[in-house]
Amino acid sequence: MYQYDAIDKDILADRSAEFRGQVARRLAGELNEDQFKPLRLRNGLYLQLHAYMLRVAIPYGSLNPAQLRKLAWIARTYDKGYGHFTTRTNLQFHWIKLADAPDIMDHLASVDMHAIQTSGNCVRNVTADPYAGATAEEIDDPRVWAEAMRQWSTVHPEFSWLPRKFKIAVTAAPKDRTAAKVHDIGLVLKRARDGSLGFEVMVGGGLGRMPYIASTIREFLPVNRLFSYLEAILRVYNRHGRRDNIHKARIKVLVATLGAEEFARQVEAEWEKVGTGPDLPDTELARIRGAFAPKTFGTLSPRSDAFETARAGQPAFARFARNNLKPHKVPGYGIVEVSLKGIGETPGDASAEQMEVVADLAERYGQNDIRVTHEQNLVLPHVKLDDVPAVWAALDAVGLATPNMNLVSDIIACPGLDYCALANARAIPVAQHIAEKFRDPERAERVGELKIKISGCINACGHHHVGHIGILGVDKKGEEFYQLTLGGSGAEDAAVGQALGPALPYDRVADAVDTLVEVYLRERKDGERFLDTFRRTGVAPFKEAVYADAN
Amino acid sequence: MKALTANRLIDGEVVFWKDGEWVERFADAQLFDEAAQEAAEAAEAHGKNQPTVVVEPYLIDLVDAGGLWAPLSFRERIRALGPQNHPSHGKQAEGGAVVEALLHADGAARSTGRVNLIKRK
Repeated sequence: MYQYDAIDKDILADRSAEFRGQVARRLAGELNEDQFKPLRLRNGLYLQLHAYMLRVAIPYGSLNPAQLRKLAWIARTYDKGYGHFTTRTNLQFHWIKLADAPDIMDHLASVDMHAIQTSGNCVRNVTADPYAGATAEEIDDPRVWAEAMRQWSTVHPEFSWLPRKFKIAVTAAPKDRTAAKVHDIGLVLKRARDGSLGFEVMVGGGLGRMPYIASTIREFLPVNRLFSYLEAILRVYNRHGRRDNIHKARIKVLVATLGAEEFARQVEAEWEKVGTGPDLPDTELARIRGAFAPKTFGTLSPRSDAFETARAGQPAFARFARNNLKPHKVPGYGIVEVSLKGIGETPGDASAEQMEVVADLAERYGQNDIRVTHEQNLVLPHVKLDDVPAVWAALDAVGLATPNMNLVSDIIACPGLDYCALANARAIPVAQHIAEKFRDPERAERVGELKIKISGCINACGHHHVGHIGILGVDKKGEEFYQLTLGGSGAEDAAVGQALGPALPYDRVADAVDTLVEVYLRERKDGERFLDTFRRTGVAPFKEAVYADAN
Repeated sequence: MKALTANRLIDGEVVFWKDGEWVERFADAQLFDEAAQEAAEAAEAHGKNQPTVVVEPYLIDLVDAGGLWAPLSFRERIRALGPQNHPSHGKQAEGGAVVEALLHADGAARSTGRVNLIKRK
């Protein structure tokens, strides 16, 4: 993976020292809270219900073992022994003391980590395909471009005070594992007939109060013009974004207001003015690309006797292999998905011990490579099939081998009202209750792919709009209620879910999901996912079943 | 009935007002009845004058929960107790009659005091 150079390290050291001074001035009363709040937020430090929350950046969801071990050490030393992986592929610590925050920043910097641009109206952490460099589907390594965008956007003075936060995703595979179409900018790498690389550029996707699927404003942008084009987009946004109204300030509203065609025209006009200046020199691109050069893989048989023996002899391993092991581009290797969705556990949470086990496994079996997914799981992208049984056993020993990837209990949930100052309702216990309903792995497999996403408020950190089943916590006359939506997708077939009907009280949500699944099992035709059946039947049979009691 | 709450500046800890001091447990909080409305507002004003001690002090409404007082809003009960997904975290781990009363109280999800503070990230 990419190694920070002297410039990167200087930026982190400077920022850490600056923040230490700001915290000292706040504690001494030289800064009041109104003055200090934007400063701490620019370093990822929020004040939540119980304590400060520190959101640590994990650029394009890529970690090495030393970094994950450091996160585990911080969790144990400064928090309550765990961290929470988010849909932005970052890690949140929920029990941080302000007085400790400067030391934590220094510890993060010691492993080339930080919390810069994890909050505020700037370009946030870029999302990339967690299978990058490992999947045969990709036509280029999206991390190369994500890293180049990290360098370009980090403390970029022109784009440090945008109308609102700004999120970019990049993928190079037809199967979208980044939710690109609900980002402010979604980039899909493509290869032209002449073999040249380019991006399909999609703009104006987003969730929150007003969900939009992104519009394509350029079918093919040559890769060597990426940065001038991004600058043109951001300049149009900076100029016309609704700074007067926080609810209309995201680029999606500008794109929707102008229309994608007019927005594209303005971007093209601005692009002409920007010229080629900002684009990345080939030498720098080559340097970055070198950091992601293909790993040295052994020449292995596509069939592993050790793997096949374990699969034949251990049903639990066979189930894990069916659900959590994905094809690798190199014969004899696999991509191992590490579930942070143990039944009854908190989606996305990992204990310090679990983080250390994953770090050890990455070091011993996984070419020092760990990824975080936007669906709040971890990935070991390069594991020999021979080693998968040992990896599985080690994961299983610490509760990380739940065989539920993309199944009903692989639920995205934001921290919700248990932690977050913005939330209207709890999300975590709702996810736990649903997962308990589908504790039987055979039933979960019989149901097949089903993505449930839960947000505790309209800000939609839990991506509920794009859940096959989306669940949104609302405050209804002072009580927690939950609006269900069906038919959303954050993948390449992106769609915003359709409301099921009136909101349900807290204690009816898990039963309602159970009912929805039963309707699907009754209605589905061969090979249909929940999403496919819903798209064929529409909302009626689902609605009828869930609200039958009320009629 | 009301109580005054805030987060402590240095560590974010949830704290409650008690006779001129900030204490960590809701069980120890000073309770202000209707007759003490002025005293409650004076305490809030005093807290707002302690910017190096606490952040955003505000008054919360309380309800009778089985003979003991509990915050009306669910958000405030979670603040006083800790997150439900980790019962060993937060003050709920200490147990006691007041914690039990809070665990079994019901009422509004939104804070009665903080509504205007939570509209923006």
